[in-house]
Amino acid sequence: MTDAETPRPRRPMSPRRRRYWKSLGFAALVGGLIGGWLVVDQPEGRGLTEMLATGSLTPGFAIAAALCWTIGLAIAMILYHRAIDDHEEHAWLWASTAGWYALMFPAPVWWVLHRAGLAPSPDAMLLFLLTLVVNAVVYLWLKFR
Amino acid sequence: MNNKLKILRAMRNWSQAELAERLDVSRQAVNAIETGKYDPSLPLAFKLARLFGMPIEEIFDDGQKGHADD
Repeated sequence: MTDAETPRPRRPMSPRRRRYWKSLGFAALVGGLIGGWLVVDQPEGRGLTEMLATGSLTPGFAIAAALCWTIGLAIAMILYHRAIDDHEEHAWLWASTAGWYALMFPAPVWWVLHRAGLAPSPDAMLLFLLTLVVNAVVYLWLKFR
Repeated sequence: MNNKLKILRAMRNWSQAELAERLDVSRQAVNAIETGKYDPSLPLAFKLARLFGMPIEEIFDDGQKGHADD
């Protein structure tokens, strides 16, 4: 066996990487908890669109989901930002800026057009979804290009 | 910014993943620096300089000639 073929010993995961995967695992756990609870909380026979967007929610689930989202996201973000390297921080910051622009440009435009009767009322969740998509695309491009 | 990271890494027969482990960054970070898509922060540049045992300006080249006070 030549040097090139000799398998290199796998080093143990560094504390930073361990923290990184723990933070992502924690975020996935919070998301999974809210998603799982949402599914369980639905009345029988509801479609996917109704479940995810248009259907009503029970107050108990809504309060619990809101708390889980706020507290869980805050903890996940603290853990995540303590664990990422500066390349990922760079990707995150630019992605966040792009996400902010994706809200800053269309939101007031939609609002004034609506006030003039030229557009339906602004949809906050649609704007949120847009910022999320722009954020994700820019983040993934900067991290993995 | 140009850099000699790929050459220095190859001289030591390290993979991108190995260098990333030594720097405690992701493999994507090493790849992005090597391909010039990302300029490292000053702390990471110092870490690289210490790891390869040479000054930062011997690893990175900003294309400017002479000293800052020229």
